[in-house]
Amino acid sequence: MMSWLTCSPAPLLLSLQVAGVVLVLFLVAGIALGYALSQPIPLRGLLDALVSLPLVFPPIAIGFFLLMLFGRHGVIGGPLHTWIGWDLVFSFPALVVAAFIAGLPLVVKPIQAAIEGSARDLIEVSHTLGKGRLATLFLVVIPIIRRHILAGLTLGVGRSFGEVGITLMLGGNLLGSTETLSLAIYNQVLDGNFDCATRLSLLLGLLSLGLFLLLRWLGRAG
Amino acid sequence: MKPDSRIGPHRSVGEERCRIFDLGSRLAESGSQDLRASVDFSRAGFRLRMGIDVPSTGITALIGPSGCGKTTLLRLLAGLETPQAGCIQLGDTIWFDSDHRIDLPSRKRRVGLLFQDYALFPHLSVAANIAYGLARGPERAGQVALWLERLQLQGLADRRPETLSGGQRQRVGLARALAPRPSVLLLDEPFSAIDISLRQSLRLLFQEVVADRRAPTLLVTHDLDDVRYLADRVGVLIDGELRQLGPTAEVFAAPTDAEIARVLGWHNILPVTAYDGLRASGGWGTLELLSQVVDRTPDVLAIRPSGPRFCMTHGLEVELVRVTQMDDYQALFCRLPDCSPLRIHLARSEPCPMPGVRARIWIPPECILPLPRNVSLPDSVPTSSAPSRGRRHA
Repeated sequence: MMSWLTCSPAPLLLSLQVAGVVLVLFLVAGIALGYALSQPIPLRGLLDALVSLPLVFPPIAIGFFLLMLFGRHGVIGGPLHTWIGWDLVFSFPALVVAAFIAGLPLVVKPIQAAIEGSARDLIEVSHTLGKGRLATLFLVVIPIIRRHILAGLTLGVGRSFGEVGITLMLGGNLLGSTETLSLAIYNQVLDGNFDCATRLSLLLGLLSLGLFLLLRWLGRAG
Repeated sequence: MKPDSRIGPHRSVGEERCRIFDLGSRLAESGSQDLRASVDFSRAGFRLRMGIDVPSTGITALIGPSGCGKTTLLRLLAGLETPQAGCIQLGDTIWFDSDHRIDLPSRKRRVGLLFQDYALFPHLSVAANIAYGLARGPERAGQVALWLERLQLQGLADRRPETLSGGQRQRVGLARALAPRPSVLLLDEPFSAIDISLRQSLRLLFQEVVADRRAPTLLVTHDLDDVRYLADRVGVLIDGELRQLGPTAEVFAAPTDAEIARVLGWHNILPVTAYDGLRASGGWGTLELLSQVVDRTPDVLAIRPSGPRFCMTHGLEVELVRVTQMDDYQALFCRLPDCSPLRIHLARSEPCPMPGVRARIWIPPECILPLPRNVSLPDSVPTSSAPSRGRRHA
């Protein structure tokens, strides 16, 4: 009975909620950053490095630095706590931030590559025909690279489901409040509840498989 | 030939300061809508440093070898690249001025730019491509219909670009560039991706459509036929410098140095070692020249490929290396005694010896132009084993 109770669907629901929010964030920030990084903007190299950092930097270390930054005594977290009494760490927004940072490069890079590879001339044509950057983004860029956008979103959301390192540090792994699906598997193993860990792992595997199939379909359709 | 006076002040963009404001005051008085540019642009070891005036009437062509900066100039004029220094001005409107930090964005320059590969929007129909640059309003559909008709695209309005032929795409690209009534038309190798058999009809159509516009039109190409058929004026761009500019016929007839001559189709450049005013000699032999005043001993002779003939009694001794049958002539690749190459074009009806044969070729003096050298001479002619584009003459 204990095993069944601790294997509740709450982590799955939490992970889905996080994925839903980061999907919206990826849609806005991923396209904007991918578009910006494909243009000759100032500090492009620095921005590119920051976005790409989670691809090469250990997630647990990123999580630690973010904890230092957003904790109650952090450079950002301290003033937020003092002035408006709001704490990011160990909360739902912390899970969103963790998933967003981890998945962002997987969304931005395919979009950036697609724009640089197939849309650059068309962007220039659009400008010579009197359209500004925003109009060009909606009239030319998004329609042309829509499949790459979907592929990037799929990868990003998939990464957010599997995210552990940053989530563990920033979210705190609090049972019933910041325990995502991946962390739940980890917790069940620690508790010796292998049946539940197996069930949750299969569930996470099915979700990932679904995303993988979606990605393949997008690749073929494109 | 007198150099084109318009080239003067702009070539001095190299003197580090642009004089566009002096020009601007004159322009404002005259109300001219000429496009005037003097730019200094460098990137990754390449430098483009030139000035050019593009009149609002007629077509101005720029010709030059690959990598000389033709497309870069178009991109600078369109605002897609930014020069390090210089000025670009249309009539009395300044588009770019490095000294006053003026840089009008591309979308505000109203430039019609036809890209080399046409760059049609793949997700839009032909009609939507043409409509893209037009302001929304009741006249939009009428404008699109007009351009579909003018460029003989009726029936293709709903088609996507990927279903069109090269010629159709080119016409769609041209219609899209012209529909918003651009203040300047820039054309980047518009016929390079078109089948040769279609090019002439498209050139005629292009000429019809562009002829009645009164806006500067700049065509860049490396195809001499494009220039001959379409351009009223031509400039020769080599290594990022505008080396000659003038009326098309004049420039073709009298290139000012050997490098320009080669770009303009004077295929044969022979080094001169002795010159007496009437004859020039080298390791390749001796040629009689038209009596003309040449200030100094020419470095080279440029020889037109069309004009020389086989002759039994006199002329340069050559060994015929290869014969290539072209559409309307045969190209003969010969080797002179000093191994210099000599290329001549004969009518297809004229008899021609077999490759390997030694013969004499008479070169009429009017086909020879003494010039200062400015070109690296090729070491040898193509050998008979080189791949040929056409069948060999039997």
